[in-house]
Parts: sequence; structure tokens; C-alpha cells
Amino acid sequence: MSFWEYLGDRRELLVFETWQHASMVFQTVLAALVIGVAAGIAVHRSERLATLATGAAGVAFTVPSLALLGLLITPLGLGVAPSVTALTLYSLLPIVRNTVVGLTGVDRTLVEAARGIGMTRAAVLLRIELPLAWPVILTGVRVATQLAMGVGAIAAYVSGPGLGEQIFSGLARLGGANALNMTLAGTLGIVLLALLFDGCFVVVGRLTTPRGIRD
Amino acid sequence: MSAPAAPRPAPAAPGAGPPGEPAGAPRAPVGRSWRAFAAPAGVLVAGAAWMLYVENSGLDAIERRSLAPHYVWEKTWEHVQLTAVSTLAVLAVALPLGILLSRAWARPGTPIVLAVADIGQSAPTIGVVVLLAVAFGIGFWTTVVALVAYGVLPALRNTMVGLQQVDPALTDAGRGIGMSPAAVLARVELPLASPVILAGIRTTLVLMVGTASIASFVSSGGLGDLITTGVTTQRTPVLLTGCVLIALLALLVDWLGGTAARLLAPKGL
Amino acid sequence: MTDTAPETPPGPAPAPPPDSARSSGAADGEDRRGIRLIEVTKRYPGQRAPAVDRVSLTIPGGEIVVLLGPSGSGKTTLMRLINRLIEPTSGTIVVAGRDALGLDPTELRRHIGYVIQNAGLFPHMTVAANIGLVPRMLKWDRRRTAARVDELLELVDLDPGAFRGRYPRELSGGQQQRVGVARALAADPPALLMDEPFGAVDPITREHLQDSLLRLQEELRKTIVFVTHDIDEALKLGDRIAILGEGSRIAQYGTPQEILLDPADAYVERFAGGGRATRPLRFCRVGDVPLRAVPEAAPGDDAAAVRERIGAAGTGFAVVLDEARRPLRWLFSEDLAGVSGPVGERGSPSAEPLRTRDTLQQALERLIQIDRECVPVVGARGAYQGTVTLATLQKALREMRERARTRRPDTARTVDTARTVDTAAGTEET
Repeated sequence: MSFWEYLGDRRELLVFETWQHASMVFQTVLAALVIGVAAGIAVHRSERLATLATGAAGVAFTVPSLALLGLLITPLGLGVAPSVTALTLYSLLPIVRNTVVGLTGVDRTLVEAARGIGMTRAAVLLRIELPLAWPVILTGVRVATQLAMGVGAIAAYVSGPGLGEQIFSGLARLGGANALNMTLAGTLGIVLLALLFDGCFVVVGRLTTPRGIRD
Repeated sequence: MSAPAAPRPAPAAPGAGPPGEPAGAPRAPVGRSWRAFAAPAGVLVAGAAWMLYVENSGLDAIERRSLAPHYVWEKTWEHVQLTAVSTLAVLAVALPLGILLSRAWARPGTPIVLAVADIGQSAPTIGVVVLLAVAFGIGFWTTVVALVAYGVLPALRNTMVGLQQVDPALTDAGRGIGMSPAAVLARVELPLASPVILAGIRTTLVLMVGTASIASFVSSGGLGDLITTGVTTQRTPVLLTGCVLIALLALLVDWLGGTAARLLAPKGL
Repeated sequence: MTDTAPETPPGPAPAPPPDSARSSGAADGEDRRGIRLIEVTKRYPGQRAPAVDRVSLTIPGGEIVVLLGPSGSGKTTLMRLINRLIEPTSGTIVVAGRDALGLDPTELRRHIGYVIQNAGLFPHMTVAANIGLVPRMLKWDRRRTAARVDELLELVDLDPGAFRGRYPRELSGGQQQRVGVARALAADPPALLMDEPFGAVDPITREHLQDSLLRLQEELRKTIVFVTHDIDEALKLGDRIAILGEGSRIAQYGTPQEILLDPADAYVERFAGGGRATRPLRFCRVGDVPLRAVPEAAPGDDAAAVRERIGAAGTGFAVVLDEARRPLRWLFSEDLAGVSGPVGERGSPSAEPLRTRDTLQQALERLIQIDRECVPVVGARGAYQGTVTLATLQKALREMRERARTRRPDTARTVDTARTVDTAAGTEET
């Protein structure tokens, strides 16, 4: 069976798994965005906490995704739960880190100016600091999405949803008839999804970055 | 994936960065040599302590087999080999390519190469490994090729960024005093770019340690074997040992990268 | 402190007593808009010396008061205490008749304009959004805010149509600073704090911005606290200047003339003299200014006659010359009280005389150095020509000022002389 025939043959399954993969990545990154930005805001005012947070994120990052997924089996079992948890945790790292970097990178004199003209702390955060840090945060979200795409593939090892299914099925049938087709479909599917998401980020970035600070 | 224009390796690619470290900035001042070795010593002690604890925690037969010291040592060694070989291969590809692409005549092609590398990066490693295994059969080199494909981008990007950020006034000064282009590259550009390039190498090293655990799926060994064994046999101690050792190895390798960056970067920067 | 007229004989200008504004000007509208700091202290934890140590300062309403000092003198800290970007450890701050420490800090700041170096415009907001921030926070409606924005842009000489929708990075440094001033004025606050606002623009632009600020001030009469380390800027803009030393100690608080002509101590002298401000003194020669005429006497003259001469001239003293008309001594009327016969060796020796070729700067230095009111001036072969006093120097400066004022009638500012002479001298130099 040629690759094209395979695609036609399994169209429904492939579309379903692609949708699952995209939806899983989207939801986990969104959750990570909310948690990560909140955490970044919470720690960025204290230099000690900020260093601690970025340091912890870095160390946590040395734990391979495979290990993290494996570790989550014990408390969460197989399937969606460990996959989503692992993806969220992984996505958190670059988002927290970039939120902290972005917020601490905001010119202090601007914050002073904002307070000087009588903005409340909340207003300074919402109207000055977050908008100015947004491009950096968005870069973090982009990196997080890319990571989640890859980790999502490995999530199939713990019976997670998504295109990783195809790859692991291919692996299981190594030397079999459709092994190449399956692996290729899974891999290319994820590449396409990643490119699609990234394209979305370019658009979102342009729409959400004020013209005054756009490159 | 479009190539981000910002030449800021640290915030632009934080996910791939080593722990809490701005690219190019050595972590601690040189000197007090005993202190510089505190981190790796700590990692080794932690590893030994973990092994002692696990070996004495009432293992069943399966666990004892998978956690036999010589077996664990063999897996660790395989892991180190995979990491070392693929890192060297990444450097062999990324450094010359980065230098080549940062020459004035090649700059128009830079975005294209980076775009291609970006697409390569977005391919899931597991997919690439399995694809290569399907195409060329399983084994050590299959894994190395997949790891290289994955790890080339950060090193390539840092090399290019590092070279591009060298103050043109300095390269002009080099040319002005009669240096050949090769001499300008070797004596001015590379030394000045070295902190960023070395930071890229450090990132690559850490990335390789983590990614090498995937080798287990295509029977190339490494500590990933402990994880897959742990998962398939549902033996948490085995799984945990794999995780702990990979994490410790990553920390150790990160320290190595940091030390190398400190020692190799020209003084005065 | 009541307004010190420039003509008043210079004397050490003490920092105004804390209650003076209350007693002298609480009733008039000017001081309702003023700012008073009373015994204000700021200590940072872990630092032994306070950053601001019991400072009292009265800033009269409608005036520009410049805080001048070297970096580290705490002038910015002192300013930021006023809008409570820094909270004082102790003391009282009164802004426009209200206790600033009793107000909500954000509310307080909305009623004090704040301009900083590099303007501090928010790069992600348009010019209009930047200027309209405070009015919007004060719940003005859209239309009123928009109208105010246009009005302010015109006020700072920027065409509303062209600049309203631009982003800060599309403006030059000078334009950004103008927008910064407009933003500070947005809600028509009675007071304005300006923290080295023109520190980062080129000299020509700075000059323009300073002139615009003065023109604006003519119109608006805001109470402005202006921080700078540039003595020239201080002299040009300040109605009053507070020279700060360590711990925000106010070394001297007075009009530019007082600072220039009668520095309170060596620190002020060094600081005021170190800049280009005293250049007119440096480029003007003693021989070029009208000298003080003082009765003359010879050692052989009759004391009673000399006493009469002193009385007629109303100077209180005479100068004793030798045969070659070289100055020997000062002879005060007290020295001659009840003396008859020749004056002889009476009187006190005069200091090393100035020469007509010496500059006014040297004359000023000599006056400070000898701790006496007058120095004789000699011409060729040491012959006495006249006498220099502080009043002589003041008058000379004032006349230079008058000349400058007739030359540039539109900028009738006290110290513009300094600048004009300055510029002329600069041209000669180059």
C-alpha cells in the first residue's frame, strides 16, 4: 500500500487523531499559559523567587519527557490523564520562564513613570507591564506549543491520545507492511500541525502586539 | 516556522536552555576550584545515594535483575556514549554550517536554512527515530542520526547569532590592520562569538541527554531502557531509577558545559 | 520666605523656616498651590546615614524651583518623596494645602504632573493614549479626553493631526519630551515634578525645550519642581535654586543671583563656580566695569578732613594711598573717631590689589578669600583706580543682563545674560 493509499484508507482515523492531538496541545498550552503567567506575575517582583522559579523550571526540564510520563502512570494510570498532566507541566516551563524574563525586562523607568502619574499597582501590571512583556511571553508560548507537540507524540506510549498512536503502531509493526506508512503519517501529521500552530502564533502575535513595540 | 529576528538566545529559546541560565553568561566566577567541583560532586553523591537506597529497599526478582549495578552502569555508559557521539556530530555539522551561513555572501540564504532547520525541529523525535529505524533498521547509529537531526538547530542558531552580533567595527578594524578574512574569523569573530556559541553547545548537550532516552524504543540502549522496563513491568523503582539517573546525568552534563564555556571563553569578555 | 529682591545686599540665605509659608502666604492664592516639606527624613533599612535627613523646603506656588546637586546628592529622592514614589520615614509634606501623606498615593499622583528623563512614554500606546491616560483614569469621558489631548499637543507645539496617532518610537527625542510634558499637564495639575527631563537630548534641542517650558510657565504658572545637575539649566529655569549636598542637605536655597554672587559656603561656591554659569564673570575684566569711587587720603592728611570726606561720600571708609598712588590701607570712620592731626598708620591694611586686567571671576574669588567687602583696583605701575565690592559685581552683572534683555526682548529672563555672554564667549573660543 502506498503512502497515499494509506492516507485515503485510514482517513477518518487520521483526521480524528490529528484533531485529538491538536486539541490536546491547544488545551494544555492554554492551561499552562494561565497558570504560567499567574506564577510568573507572582514571583517576578522578588528577585530571589524569580531566580528560584526559572532555576526550578530549568532543572525540571532535564527530566526527560519519557521519564515524566512514566512517573505519572503510578498516580494517574494510563491514557488521557498522565498525557495531559505531562504536557501541561512541560508547557509551563518556558511560559513561566519567559513571563519572568519578560516582566523583569520591562524598563523600570516606565513602571516608575506609570506609578508617577498615579496608576494603581494592578493598572501598572495590566496596562504597562503585561503588554510590554507580551511579545516575550508569546515566544514562550510558541516554544511551549512546539514542545507539547513532541511530548504529545511520546504520550502515546502511556496510551495518550493523538498522532503518537500512529508512530507507536509503526514501531510495533517494525518490518511489517504498514510500519513506514503509519510512522510517516504520524510524524508528518505532527510536523504539519506544528507549522500550522506556529503560523497561528505569527498571526496572533501581530494582532496582539501593539504597533508601537512591534519589530 | 519563521525565523525570529531577535538575536536574543536566552529569552527567545528558553525551553531549550539549561537551568536558569542566560545564554553566554558563565554561572560562577572562576577561582576557588573546590567550589567549582561542589556541583558535580553533589550529583555523583546523589546518584550513589539513590542506588544504595534502591538496592536496599527490598526489591523483587524482576527489579533486582533490572537494577543490578553492572546493568545500570552499562546502561549509563551507553547513555553517555549516545550523548557524547551525537553532541560531537551536532558540533561537526552546526559549527561549520553556522560559520558558512554567517559569511556576508551567504546571508541572503540564512532565513531559508533556518526555516528548514525549524521544520526539522518541529518533527517529533520519536517519529524521526522510528522512521529511521523503519528505513535503516534499528541500532546505535540510527539513534545518533535522529538525535543529530534534533539537536542541530540550537547549536546552529547560537553559532549564527553569536557571529552576527560581533561588532562590525571590530571586524573592520581587523581587516583594517591587514588581516585576511580567515584571520579575522579566527582571531576576531570566533573569539568574540565564543560565549554565545559555547552556550549553544551547552544547550545541545543537555538536550541530547534527555532525548537519548528515546533510544530505548529502537533498542539502542541507554537509561531509557530502565524507564521502558519500569513501565512495561510496572515496577516503579526501576522507572524511578531511570528518571533520577537521567536527570542527574543532565545536571552533570550541564555543569560540564558551563565549565567548558567558562574555561574556553576568552578572558576579558 | 518672602521674596528676596535681587537688589537686596547679598548675605547668607538660610533655608526658610518651616512655618514661614504658613505665616506669610497662607492667605494668598499662590501659596495654596505651593509645596512644603517639613523636617522630611528618609531612611533605608540597613543604611546608617539617612538618604534624606530632616529636610525642610518651601516651594512657592507658581514658581519653578530647581533642585540642583551632583549625582548622589539625593535630589531625585527628594523629588520622589513629594509624589510618594518614595515614602518618607518621618516628616510632613504639604501639596497645594493638603497633607500629602494623608492622601491615597495614586490619587495624589494623578494631581501632580510627573516628567522624567527620556519622557518615559509607554511605547505600546499612541501619543494620544499616553497623554489621555490620566484623564481617563480620572473618569473623563472620551470626547473630553480627546479634546484635552489636542489642546495639550497644541500647547507643546505639536500638530495634533500629525502626532495624535503616532507611537513614541516614531518621534524624535525632543518631540517625545514634549509629549511627556503634555502627559504631565493632562489633568491640569497644580504642581509638576520634572526629573532631569531634558537630560538626554542634544544641547540645541534642550535649549528649545527649556525656552518652551519657560513660555508655557508664563502662561500656566504651575508650581514646578525641577531636578537637574546642570547649573546652566538651573540658572536659566529656576526662580529659585536649592543646592543639595549629601543627605539632601540644602546647602543654599535662593534666587540664581544669590547663588551666583553670594554662595553660602565653599560647597555651593565650588558647585556653582564649577559650571559654566560664572562664565560672564570670567570673561569680563575689572577695568571694563564701573568701579566704586571711594574717598582717597594720604598718610599726611588731616584726620578731621578725611572724616569729612568720608561723610560726604557716604561710603563709611576711605582708601589711603602712598605718593605713587599705590593703595596702602582702608580707613574706616571708626578708625578716625576722636583723632586729630595726620591719619598716619591708622586703618587696616588693604589686601593684595586687583589689576584692571583681572577678570570679575578673580575679583569675586579675591573678595571671598579676604573676607572683606572691598578690594582696591590698580592700573599701570600699581596706581589706584577704584574699588571693587560685591555690589560692584552685582551691578555689573545686572547691567549685562539689561543689555541682553534689550537685545532679546522676548526672553526677559534674569539669567539670560549669563547665557548670552556665555555663547558669545564660546564663539570666541572656537
